[in-house]
Amino acid sequence: MRTIPETVYFRTKSTLSPETLAQQILPAGWILTLLSSTKEQQAFYDTFEWHAFEKGVAVQKKERILFLIDINSGQKSASVSFQGNPLSFFSETLPDSLLQTKLCSLSNIRAFSRLCLLNTLTTSYRLLDQNSKTVAIIAVESIQLTGHERYQEEIHLLALTPFKGYEEDTTPIHQSLSSLEAVHSVLNFRELFLLVMKCAKQRVQGYSAKFLTKLHPDATIHESALLLLEHTFSVMLLNKNGIKKNIDSEFLHDYRVALRRTRSIMKLLMGIFNERENQYFLNLFRTLGKRTNDLRDRDVYLLRKKSYCNSLPPNLQPSLIPFFEHIAESRKVFHRRLSRYLSSSDYQVSLNEWEGFLNQQTLPDVERTHQGSRSTKSVALETIKRAWKKLLRRGRQISRETTDTELHALRIDCKKLRYLLEFFASIFQPDAIIPVIRQLKELQENLGAFVDASVQIHFLHQQLELIHSDTLFAASMGGLMVTLFQKKEEARLKFNKTFTSFDHEETSQLFHDLLTGSSL
Amino acid sequence: MKAIALYSIKGGVGKTAAAVNLAYLSSRFFPPTLLCDLDPQGASSYYFRISASKKYNSGKFLKGNKKIYSNIKATDFDNLDLLPSDFSYRNLDIELAEEKNPQRKLKKNIEELSNDYQLLFFDSPPNLTLLSESLFAASDIILVPLIPTTLSIRTFMQLKDFFDANKLNSSKIRPFFSMVEKQKKLHRDIINEFRNTPGFLTQTIPYNSEVEKMGLYRAPINAVQPNCPASKAYLHLWEEVTKLTELQG
Repeated sequence: MRTIPETVYFRTKSTLSPETLAQQILPAGWILTLLSSTKEQQAFYDTFEWHAFEKGVAVQKKERILFLIDINSGQKSASVSFQGNPLSFFSETLPDSLLQTKLCSLSNIRAFSRLCLLNTLTTSYRLLDQNSKTVAIIAVESIQLTGHERYQEEIHLLALTPFKGYEEDTTPIHQSLSSLEAVHSVLNFRELFLLVMKCAKQRVQGYSAKFLTKLHPDATIHESALLLLEHTFSVMLLNKNGIKKNIDSEFLHDYRVALRRTRSIMKLLMGIFNERENQYFLNLFRTLGKRTNDLRDRDVYLLRKKSYCNSLPPNLQPSLIPFFEHIAESRKVFHRRLSRYLSSSDYQVSLNEWEGFLNQQTLPDVERTHQGSRSTKSVALETIKRAWKKLLRRGRQISRETTDTELHALRIDCKKLRYLLEFFASIFQPDAIIPVIRQLKELQENLGAFVDASVQIHFLHQQLELIHSDTLFAASMGGLMVTLFQKKEEARLKFNKTFTSFDHEETSQLFHDLLTGSSL
Repeated sequence: MKAIALYSIKGGVGKTAAAVNLAYLSSRFFPPTLLCDLDPQGASSYYFRISASKKYNSGKFLKGNKKIYSNIKATDFDNLDLLPSDFSYRNLDIELAEEKNPQRKLKKNIEELSNDYQLLFFDSPPNLTLLSESLFAASDIILVPLIPTTLSIRTFMQLKDFFDANKLNSSKIRPFFSMVEKQKKLHRDIINEFRNTPGFLTQTIPYNSEVEKMGLYRAPINAVQPNCPASKAYLHLWEEVTKLTELQG
């Protein structure tokens, strides 16, 4: 495999002049010749969930090109021309290229947001040996972050990039640079990236949509529930700006999941908090959740645009254009409405109340909240068992003639069990909990497919009722409803098989192992 | 990866100049490109100011892939690498004869390079030996520079005869006229005689003092004097070659 030598970065106290370099590091007969001097703005991008960094990739915009860079080696793996330094972009909007394919594989639903904007001044020199052959490029670089008034200090660097086949020849240069008094650290690309992110006040991998709160099995459930609620609250707070700035639909999605989880914790773990307060906040979060429904619905239909078009013959596809335009327009209205609410004092008051509730350090009155002082372990075992048994009981009652409503209800039971497993995952051994979640996930996916198709059919039928005269549109709606109906029936038919597999000795054993406490 | 050999039985016909300039143009349009200097005289390597490391020799070249990779060097031009020649290459034929299936050896040795380079150019030594045979098998196209003289044409015919006698694929051979002096009647007559011969490329490379100066510049003429007549001719020749290699479109 053809390897390209890695660039090594020397962080210096100030900008080093070529004269200093020539005097202090070059062997006899070697010279530096000016290659280029550029002043430009560079930017780094990643998704809110750090999808690129997670896969060892940095997304850098420089010299009007967007690069994918291996974070460990600093090697560029793909590039595409790119104008400006937008606040965010979607991978799908980039020109067809290897870079686009790679970025889409990281995420095509999340936007790549600008992590920082850098003003850079770079002067590059060719390092010529005694035969006047270029053996390396030395770049003297000054980096200043824009929009960070508090961080006035510039980052001064000297980057040494040996040419292929000249790594050994440039080793003495590397050594001389390392020992220069003006050099205070030697960095690889990863370390440089982390330094820039630190200066930009970005917490690398500081957000994950996954539920990772660590609980202690012997802690009181009151204590654990507060930890879980603090986590869901932090997710709500972290996603608020992304919703308002309209960066991508996942901000609202994660916000809603955090809301649902908050309500689930409070509902599933009844008897932990003061009942009156519990009810008050349940109502508050239900109302808040309802405020987000319209916007989320529009997001979901806009995300389905491609699949809707692809499931219709080409001559019917144009009739969907006004349909999606209408959805996009109404989305704007709902987005403005929700953003206004999230900036309102009413919302702030609700958040303050909730924060105040979470910060109550003392256990509420034991008389009224009899469960609160129990151990997390015992509540976890009991609630998971109860939810699992309920799911089995309800599922066994479902026959081929079952109604949509019954399957909807079963999906909610499934979700409740899933949330409980996720809330308490950290107190179990991973090898005990992961297979249980996997089994449940299959059933959830089946029920999810059913409910999704059912909801979509209902929505499309409503659209049909609104527009009577457009026959092509009616045909399109008909076509989509047929496809969705087939999917729904497929999911219904598959349900028995999926549920039988879930309601099986093997799954029971997995739950048994989990619930007997041996896996704690 | 396509492999293109610059080859001639006869020396001093402009092989190296063509290899260096075509490889340079290839690196601009179809990066990355590798130029493999097989001539022990090392003229291509000299033009790029590159010499092989002290540990490198013909034995390592014959070991192939990994040994080749570790001895490739970057030229001063983006996306153009060079595998320099070593004086020990003068014994390549003898060493090749001791290998199993020597005719296929070169092809096998460059297999891994196809992951990294779009085009590979060979600058070959002027003779017709076992190494030449191995080169013929490894190359998709064999570009043969011909000075429009009777002697040059004679060596070209010898090459054709060799291919026919050994049942090699002679459609790979693509001659073009090089070091052409249009003021010479002999040059004009020979070019006219062969102009429509199947396989001959239409672009000719003029004799140009700038090409000789490559030894002073130690860089491709297309990089330092892109507007001189020879540079323009190499560019047109390159365009003709891209059509042959199906790189266009």
